[in-house]
Amino acid sequence: MITVTRLNTGEILRYMGCPPERADQTLREQAEACARELLTIIRPRWSWRAVGIAFEPAGVRLENGLLLPGEDLQAHLAGCSRGAVFCATLGAETDALIRRTEQLDMGRALALDCCASAAVEEVCDQIELELQAKFPGCSFPFRYSPGYGDLPLEVQGPLLDLMDAPRRAGLCASASHLLTPRKSVTAILGVAEGEIERKKRSCLGCPAQGGCQYRKAGGHCGIS
Amino acid sequence: MEFRELLRAPGPILLDGGMGTMLQAKGLALGEHPELAALEHPDWLLDIHRAYVEAGTQILCANTFGANREKLKRTGKTVEEVIPPSIAIAREAAAGRALVALDLGPVGQLLEPTGSLDFETAVDIFAQQVRCAVSAGADLVMIETMTDLQECRAALLAVKENSGLPVLVSMTYEERGRTFLGHAPACAALTLEGMGADAIGINCSLGPREMPALVEELTRWTTLPVSVKPNAGLPDPGGAGYDITADQFAAAMAELTELGVKCYGGCCGTTPEYIARLKAALAGRTIREAPRRVPAAVCSPVCAVPIDRVRVIGERINPTGKKRMKEALLRDDIDYMLGQALEQTQAGADILDVNVGQPEIDEAAMMVKVVKALQGVTDAPLQLDSTRPEVLERALRVYCGKAIVNSVNGEEEALDAILPLVKKYGAAVVGLTLDKGGIPKTTQARMDIAEKILNKALSYGIRREDVYIDCLTLTVSAEQEAASQTLEALERVKKELGLKTVLGVSNISFGLPARPLVNQNFLTMAMTRGLDLPIINPNLEAMMAAVRSYHLLMNIDKEARDFIAAYGTAEVSTSILTNSSAPGGAAAAPEGERSLARIVEAGLKGEAGPAVRKLLETTDAMEVVDGILIPALDKVGADFEAGRVFLPQLIQAAGAAQAAFEVIREKLAAQPGGAGEPKGTVVLATVKGDIHDIGKNIVKVLLENYGYPVVDLGKDVEPAAVAEAARKHNAPLVGLSALMTTTLGSMADTIKLLRKEGIPCKVVVGGAVLTADYARQIGADFYAKDAKESVDVARQVIG
Repeated sequence: MITVTRLNTGEILRYMGCPPERADQTLREQAEACARELLTIIRPRWSWRAVGIAFEPAGVRLENGLLLPGEDLQAHLAGCSRGAVFCATLGAETDALIRRTEQLDMGRALALDCCASAAVEEVCDQIELELQAKFPGCSFPFRYSPGYGDLPLEVQGPLLDLMDAPRRAGLCASASHLLTPRKSVTAILGVAEGEIERKKRSCLGCPAQGGCQYRKAGGHCGIS
Repeated sequence: MEFRELLRAPGPILLDGGMGTMLQAKGLALGEHPELAALEHPDWLLDIHRAYVEAGTQILCANTFGANREKLKRTGKTVEEVIPPSIAIAREAAAGRALVALDLGPVGQLLEPTGSLDFETAVDIFAQQVRCAVSAGADLVMIETMTDLQECRAALLAVKENSGLPVLVSMTYEERGRTFLGHAPACAALTLEGMGADAIGINCSLGPREMPALVEELTRWTTLPVSVKPNAGLPDPGGAGYDITADQFAAAMAELTELGVKCYGGCCGTTPEYIARLKAALAGRTIREAPRRVPAAVCSPVCAVPIDRVRVIGERINPTGKKRMKEALLRDDIDYMLGQALEQTQAGADILDVNVGQPEIDEAAMMVKVVKALQGVTDAPLQLDSTRPEVLERALRVYCGKAIVNSVNGEEEALDAILPLVKKYGAAVVGLTLDKGGIPKTTQARMDIAEKILNKALSYGIRREDVYIDCLTLTVSAEQEAASQTLEALERVKKELGLKTVLGVSNISFGLPARPLVNQNFLTMAMTRGLDLPIINPNLEAMMAAVRSYHLLMNIDKEARDFIAAYGTAEVSTSILTNSSAPGGAAAAPEGERSLARIVEAGLKGEAGPAVRKLLETTDAMEVVDGILIPALDKVGADFEAGRVFLPQLIQAAGAAQAAFEVIREKLAAQPGGAGEPKGTVVLATVKGDIHDIGKNIVKVLLENYGYPVVDLGKDVEPAAVAEAARKHNAPLVGLSALMTTTLGSMADTIKLLRKEGIPCKVVVGGAVLTADYARQIGADFYAKDAKESVDVARQVIG
């Protein structure tokens, strides 16, 4: 059971397009109030599977036969002998709250949307810790999601099926391979026996890097 | 024995248990498609089904849970290739000892509004499976493991429209008593019984020990037989299995006979052993059949509203006599209607009337659009208001829940056209006591029409509780004796026919001074005579106060909780100001009051309306716009560009300006000559395949605040729909948004189509993954890096 009790206000403000140190009291209070409201309605649910992995010329093959194509994930998982795929969602109520708030107050809707982005990251962080504990003595490159690098979104559906995600978490992919409910994540966590070089999550792996607002403004989103 | 006979016969019906776990035990490899077992491992499937028949199963579910065309895409097989052999194998295993059900599981994609799958597409997907099963000789259909009531409705409609098979509908709930999507058992019960399910129930997600609370909730809201097929306890999140044994399972299940459960089976993790133990545990037990009476009620998927007290129906979403609403309908401004909906529910409306009848527009298409959009933002049940059967049918199809149809009257043709729809979609219906001869003068004649409507409804199989009668309010200034006749008829309908009553209240005072006084008193009088469903403007505090006071005084609002919550801190004035005592002229502005410009810059939405109202007393409206509002917005815009303020402040300022513009708009609309020539329209859309739309919505708010009419097509929009809207609204500017690299292709397609069709519009694109280079490459005229730049583009293109 994953519970989130607080969110990082600075991170929320950054997502909202405002450097935390430049936020005035009103904005800070709005971010905090929205975070409180969001935390009362999110229902984080998740599912995971341990998977064997094999490196092939075309990509990384999971033991159920699913190919995760591309070079970037192969490079990312170098040194790993197995993995854990997981998915997480905040649930449909989050989408509904943001949708409703957009009709009432777009500023608050933006804040809630950013709180939800922060919350789903927090949920994934917790899951990652929980999974890491299941592989004692191992080391782990950061979690890697479809859409990063050259790993296509088309694998969302088969990945969700592998974890029985529609039934376990109410999480599905749309016909265009986007996750619904919207505030959701799928990822693979590589597992290496012994030490590997710990890579930092960086803009290079991010699907938004080409047009990212933060990078355009010379900064970054704060996820690292 | 057929399924419907089994349901009527005494004693429990034994269903089967899990399939996936059994196939894995047989050796199904990870990554193999269980849907294809009939083709690839027919002997395993036969063995499994036989084992269940041996264990005592009376109804076998064929291995068709995921055999829909969307899920089969990955396997290269078709529905027609998979379903017939799956049913044939179950039939062979049954050998006359069990019935065979087509098992219908979820499509695998979420429907609107959470996902992007369209309702009619879902109906079509299920219909294909049903037709296949009918020709393969299935005995019944089991719709299972649903988390979305709307998807259940799609499947149930597909069964009803393509077969005469009996159907059991079962949803899966979490421990909190709701589905993943937040849908409630009460709403499932009301909706699915209304639409003609033969039995309803619960399966999967939880174990048998978690069932009693859910079963009790279901039985409060349905008279149908109830089915229970839980998992073998609670699952391990890593997929390692379930936590209770066959004996524990059977013992917990057998307890459910006390709650009146009719059908017993198992879901994930259960095996023939579980079913055999279950059969043994049920032997000798009798099902306790408590009489069930389901109250009159309507619902959305998450909110059931029993008509057990006065329930307020909000009347505001209706263009009759409302200029602003007419304008919104003509401009496809759905957001305006959503705003009206939320305002009414916040004021205390329980149900919302929806009428979009307007001669210049396609009423049915608009109704579908508005109903879908409303259900995306409000949980209040809807009253679908039209006189045209084709409009009502389109609305009823997409409405998720149990709606009210407004209305039928005593005319035969209207009854025969509309009541079958009410029955098919499981709605409640308002009957107006009028017919070809108009509104009868006498109370008795109105009673006669009410009775006729009731009898006709009953003859179509509609429940008595679902017929609400409207005895019709006449304008008291025209016919003063009519008010008391209406009230008398209302009282008799309530007492003598035992039906719920509806009344549009506001009409009573037309043409009179001090209308709120008349309306409020008439409402109170009607409630004491038995009015259940007043149709009113809930935004008028006097009306809601009358309802709350009535509940307080009639001992319905226990310990005055609602009343105190509403008025605990209120200051109430009951004085009536006649013209002679009204304060003369506008008071001078109190000192220190903020200027309008300052209010907009600071984003103080609540202060903007009053400030502009005051200003309009002394200043021309256009002067306020051009001299104060636009410069204030420009200043915030410039600060945003310079990095002195950020997106949230920009949006807040826009919100404050919007509140001010709304006041000005009302004022201009009321003046002769109206609001003058509006600016050119901007059409906005998040492109096909993309469902991230908050960025586009922010752009919309900003554009509107600069006075540009915006037609917002929403998200996941087909290129053709963009072209059509651009043409229809003569839009000089189209704005397209995409957030994912994968959907940039549909942005390019949309632009290509606009050009190909020769639509004379400029295109501005934006979204996280876009760059100016790419925008040029796909033929956009402008790239906007943020919402502010979109406004700059609009000014450049439109002026």
